[in-house]
Amino acid sequence: MDPIILGIAVVNGIVVGGLYGAIAIGLSLIFGVMRVINFAHGSFLMVGLFIPYWLWQFFRVNPYVSILVAAPALFGLGYAIQAFLIAPLYKRERAMVLEPLSALMLTAGVGLIMDNLTFMVFGPDFRGITLDFASKALWIGDMLNINYTRLIAFLASLAITVILSLFLARTDMGRAIRSTAQNRDAASLCGINVMRIYNVTFGLGCAILGMVGCLMIPFYLVSPSIGLAFGIRSFITVVLGGIGSIPGCILGGLVLGVVESVAAQFVTATSASIFSFVIFILVLFFRPTGLLGMKV
Amino acid sequence: MTQQGPRNGLLIAAPAAALVVLLVLPGFIRDEYYLHVLVGILFFAYMASAWNIVCGYTGQLSLGHSALCGIGGYISTLLFINAGLSPWIGMWIGAVCATGAGVLVGWPCFRLRGPYFALTTIAFAEILRIWIDNTEEIFGIELRGAQGLSVPLKGHAPALFQFDGKVPYYYVILAMLVGVMAVTWWMERSRMGFYLKAIRGDQDAAEALGVNSTRYLLSAMALSSFLTALGGSFYAQFFRYINPERNMGLDLSIELALMGIVGGQGTVLGPVLGAFLLTPAGEITRATLGGKFPGLHLVIYGLVLIVAMLFLPKGLIAPFRRLLGRAPARSGASKPTTT
Repeated sequence: MDPIILGIAVVNGIVVGGLYGAIAIGLSLIFGVMRVINFAHGSFLMVGLFIPYWLWQFFRVNPYVSILVAAPALFGLGYAIQAFLIAPLYKRERAMVLEPLSALMLTAGVGLIMDNLTFMVFGPDFRGITLDFASKALWIGDMLNINYTRLIAFLASLAITVILSLFLARTDMGRAIRSTAQNRDAASLCGINVMRIYNVTFGLGCAILGMVGCLMIPFYLVSPSIGLAFGIRSFITVVLGGIGSIPGCILGGLVLGVVESVAAQFVTATSASIFSFVIFILVLFFRPTGLLGMKV
Repeated sequence: MTQQGPRNGLLIAAPAAALVVLLVLPGFIRDEYYLHVLVGILFFAYMASAWNIVCGYTGQLSLGHSALCGIGGYISTLLFINAGLSPWIGMWIGAVCATGAGVLVGWPCFRLRGPYFALTTIAFAEILRIWIDNTEEIFGIELRGAQGLSVPLKGHAPALFQFDGKVPYYYVILAMLVGVMAVTWWMERSRMGFYLKAIRGDQDAAEALGVNSTRYLLSAMALSSFLTALGGSFYAQFFRYINPERNMGLDLSIELALMGIVGGQGTVLGPVLGAFLLTPAGEITRATLGGKFPGLHLVIYGLVLIVAMLFLPKGLIAPFRRLLGRAPARSGASKPTTT
């Protein structure tokens, strides 16, 4: 294998992988705090891609400006779904009848509705937007180039991760979220409104997808059916990095991105995802806490 | 489960009456379309029941059952195309292979619990689907990748599982459904059924009491895989076309789980009830509004799933059971209550 082509594949993998990491953060955060696998995760990303798409189509709003709309919109959507649909399950859990997977199936239902409502309204087409500078690229040497829009997305993904980590570490709300994750009853005894923390956490996890959607739309085609693929990819990322660990997400995303990109040099791009699944299974069997995860 | 008096009699009488209706129903239906829909309903009732044997009774959510369905369909069809072997025989070979696959995958997976188990079953099923999607041929056997396989037409050939009209298929799947329900009923009342419920309630406690949980989980998995693969072979013969997306995809797995859960997992009748309500609801919306609103039936599935999770966590069967005076806790769906 030509080392230069391999090098290009690795660089591409890293750039895409950073984005995978940012996509998975919401899933990891929600699971870490609430112990809920959000099966609709990819569908929220799909909505996060459609918002900047339509803002561009109708008002020519720059996708990067659309973050100001998409992130709050997704926050509200996630907050509402948690407050009105998932919260009742928690309240019932106190009576000890919660099936452990009911939240997973509930969010699967939410995902089905989101995907298919979008499908009914917009149809199955893949849509994208063309920005002026989208075709320009940063050249490193003669062979290697990184598209500017992808580079921005990669750097912004890292920034989102850092900001979120700081938010969780330094602010009162962040501390409240972390303490709820550690022990919900103890947090409640300390005067933290646990249900509100859950709402905010879910909203926050979705708001990140709103931001990522705006970063992706300049170079990615959106259709109502993309949700599941990204949802599964996020599960893999989160398990790789260690559930609940935010730096782990980025690491998991980078590993996944590089594996997919390098594997695509050897087999067709569609079968490359087999390797991701194999890694996923191996990690679950041999290191279920993930690469950076702590013992749960 | 005895001395339930006349109410228990009703619980047996109602399904028996339903069976009689189902037996004579094809005599009154002239329209092929309705018969087709009916076969679809019975097929999903059968598949959801097979899923229920492992997932409903053990509480481990498998979202990879479509792979077992695909294995059954592909093996019987490949044997038919390449070796001329009648699918009547091929379906058993497929079922045995699927059982092997189910046990092989289940053995490491059952160490994982809750969402981890569900995600791993997705991963295994997706690996198989993607591999077949991208494989045109292997060892000289044509798999035809994403295009899928067509079952060659032989006209009216009962020995080759091919019939004129849909009525014979109807009776085949009806017999299969009765069979799977009988197996479930028998299992529920056997030692194994009680062990499975114990594992479902609290796996650690069950093991502490001496239940070999791996053995019983794998037995349930083997049974469920075997039956699911038989259903996959039936699907291939009935629709005469299979492809990895439809027969092994995640959508099918979710659909089966949805029917089992909405109907009531861990009960004999629950998954059947779920299939009898959801399949026609989906079919009617698809037929009447499908042209204008494609995907509407899946929106309805999603809504039903949410409503069921919020208000009927034990499934639609729960109110019926209450009506008949049988405590739903009997189903083993309950966790030990401490309050």
